Amino acid sequence: MPNPDGDGDGKNSSKDDKRSAVALMVPAADPPTLEKEERGVPQKPEPDDKDKKDKSKEADEISAEDQALLEGLQLAVERVQDKDAGVQKMALEHLRKEIRAATSSMTSVPKPLKFLRPHYTTLTDVYANAAIYPVGSENRKLLGDVLAVLAMTMATPGSRESLRFKLESNAQDLGSWGHEFVRSLAGEIGEEYVSRTTADAPQPVEDLLALVKDIVPFHIQHNAFAEAVDLLLEVQRLPQLLELTSVDEANYQRICLYLLRCADFMADPDDLQEMLVTAYELYRKQGSYADALRVAIKLNNDMARINQLFEQVSDETQKKQLAFMVGRSHVNLQYEGEEADAEEVNELVGNSKLSEHYLLLAKDLDVLDPKTPEDIFKSHLAETGGFSRRREGAGAHHVDSARANLASTFVNAFVNLGYQKDALVTPEGNAWLYKNKDHGMMSAAASIGAILLWNVEEGLNQIDKFMHSQEDHIRAGALLAIGIVSSGVRIEHDAALALLSEHLESASKPVRYAAAFGLGLAYAGSNREDLIELLAPLVADADAGITEVALAALSLGMIFVGTTNSEVASLLVQRLMESADADLDNPMARFLVLGLALPFLGQMEKADAMLEAVKTVEHKMGRSAAVVLETAAYAGSGNVLKVQKMLHLCAEHLQEDADHQSVAVLGIALITLGEEVGAEMALRSFDHLLHYGELPIRRAVPLAFALLNVSNPDYGIIDQLSRLTHDQDGQVAQNAVLALGVIGCGTNNSRIAGLLRQLAEFYSREASHLFVVRVAQGFLHAGKGLVSMTPFHSDRLLASGVGLAGILTLLHAALDMKNTVLDKHHYLLFSALVAMNPRMLITLDEDLNPLPVTVRVGQAVETVGQAGRPKTITGFQTHTTPVLLGVKDRAELASSEYLAYTSVLEGVVILRKNPEAEGAPEGDGGEKQ
Amino acid sequence: MGQGTPGGMPPPGGQLPGQGDQKKEDKAKKKKFEPRPAVRSGRRRRRKGPSAAVRIPQVFPTSKCKLRLLKLDRIKDFLLLEGEFIRNQEVFRPHEEKDQEERAKVEELRGSPLAVGNLEEMIDDNHAIVSSSVGPEYYVGVLSFVNQDLLEPGSTVLLHNKVMAVVGILSDDTDPMVSVMKVEKAPLESYADIGGLESQIQEIKESVELPLTHPELYEDIGIRPPKGVILYGEPGTGKTLLAKAVANQTSATFLRVVGSELIQKYLGDGPKLVRELFRVADDLSPSIVFIDEIDAVGSKRYDSNSGGTREIQRTMLELLNQLDGFDERGDVKVIMATNKIESLDPALIRPGRIDRKIEFPLPDIKTKRRIFGIHTGRMTLSEDVDLEVFVMAKDELSGADIKAVCTEAGLLALRERRMKVTQDDFVKAKEKALYRKKGNIPVSMYL
Repeated sequence: MPNPDGDGDGKNSSKDDKRSAVALMVPAADPPTLEKEERGVPQKPEPDDKDKKDKSKEADEISAEDQALLEGLQLAVERVQDKDAGVQKMALEHLRKEIRAATSSMTSVPKPLKFLRPHYTTLTDVYANAAIYPVGSENRKLLGDVLAVLAMTMATPGSRESLRFKLESNAQDLGSWGHEFVRSLAGEIGEEYVSRTTADAPQPVEDLLALVKDIVPFHIQHNAFAEAVDLLLEVQRLPQLLELTSVDEANYQRICLYLLRCADFMADPDDLQEMLVTAYELYRKQGSYADALRVAIKLNNDMARINQLFEQVSDETQKKQLAFMVGRSHVNLQYEGEEADAEEVNELVGNSKLSEHYLLLAKDLDVLDPKTPEDIFKSHLAETGGFSRRREGAGAHHVDSARANLASTFVNAFVNLGYQKDALVTPEGNAWLYKNKDHGMMSAAASIGAILLWNVEEGLNQIDKFMHSQEDHIRAGALLAIGIVSSGVRIEHDAALALLSEHLESASKPVRYAAAFGLGLAYAGSNREDLIELLAPLVADADAGITEVALAALSLGMIFVGTTNSEVASLLVQRLMESADADLDNPMARFLVLGLALPFLGQMEKADAMLEAVKTVEHKMGRSAAVVLETAAYAGSGNVLKVQKMLHLCAEHLQEDADHQSVAVLGIALITLGEEVGAEMALRSFDHLLHYGELPIRRAVPLAFALLNVSNPDYGIIDQLSRLTHDQDGQVAQNAVLALGVIGCGTNNSRIAGLLRQLAEFYSREASHLFVVRVAQGFLHAGKGLVSMTPFHSDRLLASGVGLAGILTLLHAALDMKNTVLDKHHYLLFSALVAMNPRMLITLDEDLNPLPVTVRVGQAVETVGQAGRPKTITGFQTHTTPVLLGVKDRAELASSEYLAYTSVLEGVVILRKNPEAEGAPEGDGGEKQ
Repeated sequence: MGQGTPGGMPPPGGQLPGQGDQKKEDKAKKKKFEPRPAVRSGRRRRRKGPSAAVRIPQVFPTSKCKLRLLKLDRIKDFLLLEGEFIRNQEVFRPHEEKDQEERAKVEELRGSPLAVGNLEEMIDDNHAIVSSSVGPEYYVGVLSFVNQDLLEPGSTVLLHNKVMAVVGILSDDTDPMVSVMKVEKAPLESYADIGGLESQIQEIKESVELPLTHPELYEDIGIRPPKGVILYGEPGTGKTLLAKAVANQTSATFLRVVGSELIQKYLGDGPKLVRELFRVADDLSPSIVFIDEIDAVGSKRYDSNSGGTREIQRTMLELLNQLDGFDERGDVKVIMATNKIESLDPALIRPGRIDRKIEFPLPDIKTKRRIFGIHTGRMTLSEDVDLEVFVMAKDELSGADIKAVCTEAGLLALRERRMKVTQDDFVKAKEKALYRKKGNIPVSMYL
């Protein structure tokens, strides 16, 4: 570092050069010390500073060049007070030159500033004297400039004098006074703007905005993106970013990332909207369409913008990439472009290739062979299993073989999810279906749908034979299977709709509600108006049982999730208000409520009107409905006030009628979902709830843990849940077991697997506990570890409403496990399937053929606001695609041979040859730790 | 838990189904021999913070910006909520009395008088083998209120006087040697007492002080702050003085140690001391460790048969590891000082361990003038004293020499009971001081 302080004599000639070079490039004149003084942080007085001042009195102890500087400055200060304008100007130029040259190290106060300290009041007095410095004169402006810099440290904090001086003088060329000055000025502008706009009589802010226009490009040019965005935020002029020429391909990524991260914390929906729209436009302007699409989807599935993107993109392959991404988000986009083009895009949006890609992944990982439930249970490893069986005879162990078979059905369905074949139900002529009784048959038949998931054509063929069964439950199960098989994929000709709708008015009750639920699963998130007509009669039917009503309502909720469809909402709230108390007492009634809440998922204040309506319901269900609706509306918002409200609800000590407390606990998780800081803090709150809460609260806590960590087996959470699995209260334990399954869903996590095996032994005599353990095992090994249930995707930026709806249905069912899953409504477990997606990264070439490339997969690292090109992943391993990605994983291409059409490597990614690649793999960022 | 033995992990891959019963039984039998999982392995939980559920999340980015503010605000909001919730709950169930009761109960369980024992081994979570000073070893229970995390083999524990159950832990204090090293009273020397050395002061501030006070500046630029510096140069050029000024200036913990202190009588004590030193520094971080006369332990390695030399080298190896080893040190900065940098082991001063080497040259004329100024500032000088003569002289005077000259001159004046120090005194003093420095060759020989 150059040290102008210590300059010998005769170096003055080089000073000018140095200033021009250094004044701009060196970040700050003297940041730390000035900053501290400015903020009034108590700090040890700088001894050398103090000392120097002492010494300035005893002039003989000061070094010669300092002495010269001091005298020059003193002389200048005196001359500034002169009446002659020429003399003034000379003096001011001298001051200006000295201050700008003062770019010594950041470890000490620049000497000119130090020496000018005692003269600050003199200078301000002179400045105030209009006789010497007439308003508007050139010299006054020059003096104003100098004073603005001095005021940065000398003025009393909060007085914003620096800004006042600057506004009255030359407002250009701010950068030449150093970074620290610009930063301090920006801070004062923010304060001033707020005080002016919030004053009783709002004052004009044009002069401030003019300064902002100068400062923002300066910040951006000097890599201070966060500062630039912050300033624009303060003065509420974010869209100005779009007009700046200094925002270019080198920095838009960082700016947008910062905007997206800040968006998580915007309390005001308008601010949030503005922020996201700005990011969207920036991405679009830079031609980063995939990123723009992500933001558009985050903007509540903004159809207009998504369509705009498809219109704008001319590249066919890019369009296909966008279509894959839209499909992953379950946005029901009907693209209307040119004929051939539109057909292909719509096909991809409809996830028609999902099954194919999934099987490709399975084949690559060599897991195509069917697994039996026994492969999962591994009861031969159990220590007591064989022993107790021998001791008590074979019968003793199989007290409830129907329950055990049902469990096997579910495990089989989850494990062989989407593999098209299994060992139990799909082989020709097997009798597994008939090993189940009544309602068990329904789930068994429905499980065929799970095994054939995403492959509608084949699925309908196989299911067809059960459609004509004599047994009502089998037929019902087959209908459900149709719904499951077509969940997440868009089917041409609406086969599911045609098959299911004709059974909505069947004479048999299970068939009716299975058809209704099946529709919900098949068309979740599709936002199709024509389905209201079909399901409305079921909901409105006054004579219908609550089960049908609730399931039809839930289906409507799933179909219109996050759309605020008023027709659905009014229909459901009507039904809720008209229901008899007996109906609302039924455990299934909670799904009516959930169905009502789902259309408002994440819609924030748009649910307010409905909230008022729900509050009029006098039954206790009304209270919990209000909580469910409110928390769903604020899902993922991180709204602290709502969390506070929920915590207040949980503060009461209730033993009975505490349903609203359970859903409030779940609600806290729902609200804080998606934003890491809030989610981690919510975990702390749950700790307190466990400690102080009564049973209804404690029962919901494991489920809340699960909601926050779906498919994300964090060690700490496993530890907590595993403690709860041995809770004295049976339901707490059951919920904790299920939660273990949910947090490990599709990961094959060996720690959880071990825990669950132990639990299976521990609870081997308690049928319902054992059933839950088995289901959890099924979840853990779902898709043989190839799927994930997390609602978040695209680098955890986007939450899928459909996925969330599926998980919420599962968790709400678990809130009253005894009357739902452990009773006759175990098919509700299949609702989780709509949340399942392959956790894969598949790379395709431009003709959509698989293209294996090497990628690095590792833990995602937060890079927002970091300088340089920070690593985005840590602890990575290099694999060849297709690969599996965990919830917190991120992938990047290992070589520069190919370029991806999207910046986020997840799901299906299309690659193109890099025209600039030279065969040699690029070694960026990887090797160095 | 109601199980007899905790089930271990299954072998990876598991087993194919449909194997005969015979095999299953074999398997079951085999299971029995599996060793129990290790209860405790060394310092497993030593460093781990509180569990996930009670941790405060880390906040990124670390540079000052609105996003950071928003995140920190959110954390604050949640903490306020928690506070409110807990306060409300505490109102419902006042538990001070209950606490009192429980404490009395614990006190009772502990029994009195207590005995002191040594923990030999943990058997499982609730049992351990202890030995008492009397001799015999016992298999005893560990009461549940004893903090399991702190129990590790070798620690001193409190035992119940009759059943010998472990009822408490005596935390083993840090090595008293280390606690002595902590500078409690800031030295009086400040930067102002240093004549010249401006660039050295700047460099040491940049690499030692600023990273502790303003880490975000380094983040902004995208570099890792230096971990340590070495000060080297001729004797008497102000290395220790500068370190003292740093200690005077900083509010961080300042640990100082002289290289020779690290050489201990018993084998392994030296490295242990180094470890302790850095552990304490880490515990008290942010902190600055100043190792003076590093050449005492840091000289180049060579083959040697002498046990002492090897021990010294081992001490240095430990130092190497602590400076840039596997464990990341937090906010600990190291300053070393030596006047024989060329004899130091190259590994010790490689970048990464010591990122900055600051040379302390002999003072130039300007600096000499200032040093004379500093030392004569409080002396009564007669009018005839002309310090320029000494300043301009071509002798290689170090700061310490100048001080010696001044002191000597003062002493000479004192001898003659004069109230003023004359030029003559200075001339004599200089001759005397330099005589000592150059050996017994009179200074005039060089003129």
